[in-house]
Amino acid sequence: MKNLTKKFAGLTAVNDMSFEIHRGEFVGLIGPNGAGKTTIFNLISGIESPTSGTIRFDGRDITGMSTHKIVNLGLVRTFQLVRSFKFMTLLDNINVSCLSSRGKKIAKDYGIDEYSSTILASVGLIDKARLPPVILPHGDLRKLQIGKALGTNPQLLLLDEPFSGLSHEEAVNITDLIRSLHSDGVTVFVTGHVLRELMGLVPRVIAMHQGKFIADGPPKEVANNKIVLEAYLGRGGEFART
Amino acid sequence: MMFDTILSFLIFGTIQGSIYALLAMGFSLVYGVGGILNQAHGAFYVITAYIFYSCYINIPQYGYLIGIIIALIATTLIGGLIYLLLIKPLKESHVGVVIVTFAFAFFIERFVSIAVDSIYHNMPYLIVGYFTVFGVNIQYQYIIILIVSLLLLALISLFINKLKIGKSIRAVAQDPEAASLMGINVDRILAYTLMISAFLASVAAILYVPVETVAPHIGWTVLLNSFSIVVLGGLGSLHGSVIGAFIIAYSRSFTNYFIDPVFSALIPIIVIVVMLVLRPRGLFGKKEIK
Amino acid sequence: MKINYEFHDFKIYFRDWIGTFRGKLTVLCLIGLILIPLTGNNYIIGIFNTFMIFTIFAASWDFLAGFVGQVSFGHAIFLGIAGYATAFTIRFLNFPWWTALILGAVIAVLFGLIIGVPALRLKGPYLALGTLAMSLILYQLFLMGSLAILWENTFPGTIMFGTDGIGQVPPISPNPGISYLIIFLIMCVSLIVLTHLGKSKLGTIFKSIRDDETGAKASGINTTKYKILAFMISGFFAGIAGGLYTIRLSGVNPGSFQALYSFYAIIMASVGGLATISGSALGAFIFVFLGEILRLLGDNPNISDMFGGFTEPIFIFSIILILIIRFAEHGLLKPVLEHLQDLWDLLLGR
Repeated sequence: MKNLTKKFAGLTAVNDMSFEIHRGEFVGLIGPNGAGKTTIFNLISGIESPTSGTIRFDGRDITGMSTHKIVNLGLVRTFQLVRSFKFMTLLDNINVSCLSSRGKKIAKDYGIDEYSSTILASVGLIDKARLPPVILPHGDLRKLQIGKALGTNPQLLLLDEPFSGLSHEEAVNITDLIRSLHSDGVTVFVTGHVLRELMGLVPRVIAMHQGKFIADGPPKEVANNKIVLEAYLGRGGEFART
Repeated sequence: MMFDTILSFLIFGTIQGSIYALLAMGFSLVYGVGGILNQAHGAFYVITAYIFYSCYINIPQYGYLIGIIIALIATTLIGGLIYLLLIKPLKESHVGVVIVTFAFAFFIERFVSIAVDSIYHNMPYLIVGYFTVFGVNIQYQYIIILIVSLLLLALISLFINKLKIGKSIRAVAQDPEAASLMGINVDRILAYTLMISAFLASVAAILYVPVETVAPHIGWTVLLNSFSIVVLGGLGSLHGSVIGAFIIAYSRSFTNYFIDPVFSALIPIIVIVVMLVLRPRGLFGKKEIK
Repeated sequence: MKINYEFHDFKIYFRDWIGTFRGKLTVLCLIGLILIPLTGNNYIIGIFNTFMIFTIFAASWDFLAGFVGQVSFGHAIFLGIAGYATAFTIRFLNFPWWTALILGAVIAVLFGLIIGVPALRLKGPYLALGTLAMSLILYQLFLMGSLAILWENTFPGTIMFGTDGIGQVPPISPNPGISYLIIFLIMCVSLIVLTHLGKSKLGTIFKSIRDDETGAKASGINTTKYKILAFMISGFFAGIAGGLYTIRLSGVNPGSFQALYSFYAIIMASVGGLATISGSALGAFIFVFLGEILRLLGDNPNISDMFGGFTEPIFIFSIILILIIRFAEHGLLKPVLEHLQDLWDLLLGR
């Protein structure tokens, strides 16, 4: 129905980027480290405010709205540096999201704990439900983050570098999880700084460098785009093979 | 009739403002550099007051001056000690630091009331006497307060802006991690900052205690006013603290002379509430991240 | 159907709880408490009354600081405002004690919100000092003789401000035993409610704010709303304690606003252990009884010769608090319980 539009300028980290994402899409955002990807996510999710420009979601102007309100409209993100409620059980971690006003609408019909358990099961963590995040390996924490995001019943999911720090096996796990989320109807917007991860995953990629927009299109095209090549090779070959 | 009241209000406001500025600047410095709201700030004032007083009544002839010297040195050193023993070990726990400095404030209040006594005492001015201007008596002490405070404020300003240590302090205030990567010993800078803060409070006490009183609980109003000023001026902004100090001092003086002393007591909390609602970063503070 | 199901649940829960060491210990303490009036000694009954009232006070602070992570340095606000409201409505409006108590607590919460709402809306250290500032100013305000005169002229026959405060507040019941048991009941209800809230889904939300406020917001929680809610709950129970304290002392005066009382709340809760409601009870116990012992020691001429006034309770407590925060930040409850449990096992030959 409606779509997500962003155009903003001016934070020195992000310079006049504009793009649109449509409902049900599966889009990647790439750029070398420091390109501004996390800042874009911060702006969209309300953690930071743009100096100028607007962000629209589902027909609404959400520029500068507070984070929790944005989440309750259906736009949720995960963090690059994994956040969790370190000393609560995994179940409680998910419970918190289910207790948001948006999450509660669905969760309370099933019972909060039951609903959270289902989510934990869908990300493959149900056997660790009673454990606290402090003792979990990195890959599980990434799954937990996704689970916490799911608790809010998102329409649009922003995943900030979900693959960083993962072993190959863990990355495959996460990839499958994200794919299945998308096929369930969630619009997914993923960032990464190595193309390889996103190549086989998303049908569309937006590339940025030093806060500016440089390309937008199917992965193969973007990978062969001259400006993109310069941006990456200039950084010492963190470039993926197609 | 009106004119000398106006003059009195101006004089008193200026004197109070100078003292508040010294106190608020120290408080703001510690917050700006270390992120610490030092609940023991008032304790520095009390410690000085009592060392000053004890020397004065126990040492004949030169007690007053000796008291000044010992109080200044002791209080400054205690500032450093507080950092080492109370603040530094609790760096990860913000709650812990705040509670521990709060406890220290009580410790001092009780200590002085036991070690000395808890009755109100008065100290004489440094130079007794006054001159008259337009029918209003201006104590020499007031002039001393004004001159010393302004001098000290200017010196500290210079210190922070020009001297190397001052630059290190500013660096730590901006970004402690980056500062330590640049080779600055953040620990030592924080200790110095606390000592400067203690020193400023100590000077304020020496100047102002003769005008008010010596009593164990005087530390609390110091803390209250410092916080209120710093909220007004902007947490972390040094000239904000000075300006805020004078705004509040004149407001209090004005309400005292022209409205009703009752309202004067309410000013600090009104300032705090209004500022937090309308403009939390203060008049001159930096914008916080949401 | 649903009520039966819940009651059945509760019976199982209760049985399980009694089975634990902690449950048995708690029941033992409660029984011990109920028996106190039998001693017939008003001094002892009085001390235990104070202990129970302070337990409520400490638990209310602990709820806010330990579960939600918001530290208040001005809990004296609630103590004082509720105290005055309770005293006023009992003496001059002839309200029954229980109405006065609840009304006092509600009014206290409203006053607290004046500084609470601005402070909690923001990220930053404003609540601690903001509440302290407000309590200090209320202290100055209620102390003012000029306001006392103004009040008496506006509302003749009633007193509000002034150093004497409001006096001649009657006890809950002429029978000290009954008063005691009522206070005991109020304490139990308060502690059960606070504990239950802590363990509920609401408690989960509170704890998420404590552990990672930004993360909680990113999970869709309106943290400001919940912080204010927690503040109100905390203030309400602190207000109940304030009203009870006034009734216990037969009056209220500006002294209730002193930073001292806020400090009491912090010591008791911290010594016992943050985020444990029963820890507040332990902290209150230590505080009240140790304080009394120190006071008696101080009155004893031999001791005061040796130590000069340094047995003064607050002096000692400030040192204790500093040491505990420095070295045993999570309070004493858990270590004490562990040692008691080991002792118990030892005695039973396990």
